[in-house]
Amino acid sequence: MAHLSEGTLRRLVDDPDALTGSDRRHYMDCAACQARNRGMADDAQAAATLLSAPELKLDVATAFKRVQTAPAAKPRFGFSLPILRPSTQPMFAFGAAAIVVALAITAFANILPLFQPKTVQPVPVTFADLQALEQLSAYGTLTWSTQPKPQIVLTAADAKAISGLDVPVVSKLPAGVSSTVTYAAMPGAVAVFTFDAKKAADAAAATGKSLPKLPSGMDGAKLTVTVGPAVVEVFGDMSAASGTDASSQNINLPQLIVAKSAVPMVTSTQVTAKQLEAYILSVPGLSPELAAAIRSIGDPATTLPIPVPVEYATSSKVSINGDPGVALGDNTGLGSGVIWIHKTNVFVVAGSLKQSAAVDIARNLK
Amino acid sequence: MGVNLAEASRHVVKSRDEAFEALFKSEYSRVAGIANRVLADPQEAEDVAQEVFISFHRLHSASAQFAPAWLHRAAAHTALNRVRGRKRRERRELAQAPEEGSRTVDPQRMLEVGEDRRMVRAALARLAPKPAAVLVLRASGLSYAEVAQAIGVGTGQIGTLLRRAEAALRKEVTRGTSI
Repeated sequence: MAHLSEGTLRRLVDDPDALTGSDRRHYMDCAACQARNRGMADDAQAAATLLSAPELKLDVATAFKRVQTAPAAKPRFGFSLPILRPSTQPMFAFGAAAIVVALAITAFANILPLFQPKTVQPVPVTFADLQALEQLSAYGTLTWSTQPKPQIVLTAADAKAISGLDVPVVSKLPAGVSSTVTYAAMPGAVAVFTFDAKKAADAAAATGKSLPKLPSGMDGAKLTVTVGPAVVEVFGDMSAASGTDASSQNINLPQLIVAKSAVPMVTSTQVTAKQLEAYILSVPGLSPELAAAIRSIGDPATTLPIPVPVEYATSSKVSINGDPGVALGDNTGLGSGVIWIHKTNVFVVAGSLKQSAAVDIARNLK
Repeated sequence: MGVNLAEASRHVVKSRDEAFEALFKSEYSRVAGIANRVLADPQEAEDVAQEVFISFHRLHSASAQFAPAWLHRAAAHTALNRVRGRKRRERRELAQAPEEGSRTVDPQRMLEVGEDRRMVRAALARLAPKPAAVLVLRASGLSYAEVAQAIGVGTGQIGTLLRRAEAALRKEVTRGTSI
């Protein structure tokens, strides 16, 4: 019989009863395995000693009060990946807006190109990077000329009536995902960003850094971003109470979200995509990592960058029926999603799924 | 056809807050313990634990099944990142400090437990993230199954990961003391 594996022997250190019958017989007769086990026990003991820590005296109630009174927890720059937060109902109510606004902010925040993207590209960022991007608001003002107005509806026909989009159909739901579906839909929304040289100069002076000179024509230039229309399908029985009490405290989370939105479109006056990209890359505070990522995106006129917070998610490129897409996985392995562009629409499939399951749903969407 | 969103939202927000409080009370000690295992500094460990809970609350629902696993993992990684940041800061400060600065350190202090702990934490921070997390989580009293859930691998892999991580830590500590 082959010697016992490293893992088996290590487990034996913690649990003397861990060996199965045949392994135990081997171990009893094998001096080599016993010697290896002793070496492992020594290392384990050494590690336990090395990692000893001072005693922790906790006051949980006080700690909870401190967390409660912490500054309002809000995503930096108003951005968060929908797939990373198993949505509760309030989130669900604004699900459509969350996705398209995230796309719009992405469009603004990362490159400010003039574009109608045809493909997607992950951009690894840290929250510090996103915080740095927040400074971009100091360069001008953002206003909605048409507010995003998401609505919750209960039929695909209603969702189509509001958004004007054909609602995607999931051909086969994975086991365990409820077939109960609710829809969020919104018509298109329009945001206008106006560059303001004075505001930008004031902001730079306040941080003690000099702002790069605005390219000619930048002052007063307007970028108009059109987002949506969009439709979001949320799978999961959101209204069912678990237990007998109808006001049960348990919240039913969506198991799967499928979203479709017209690609965000950006038009402008006075400036070009190249000027804008060069300008953003010269902004003080932009991390070298993010700058490199932005440069790596390629043609900014046709690529939609998707920020991926490096602490929480990993990304990889996938092909969805010939269209290049990005698969995102929460590092916990408990949530994943895929985003891709087909013709003039952005699609998102996300949920508490394995990445392979999300990609499979994406490929079989009708 | 719409639904009564305001009513539903109020109910859910209340439920959400209560669920978060319950999660906090059941997991705070363990999350702070994991951070303390890495940092060997109770006060900083509590800072990390609170930061982790705030991040979790922002991103996820407290009712999520994966909540404890997420918190354990985040505590380990956030604390390890702090140690790495601390090292960078110390290097920077050392590079900027006048020569006399280093001479004011009491040599006796180098022998104290605190210094040993710092050296061990520096070695821990040099390990790859996964082995470092496995070591810390296991040393914090998590079962093999809990460690596996936190780092997203099968329980059967923990023995091997742990063994290799312990050997790597020993090697790193030895390397650190021989420099």
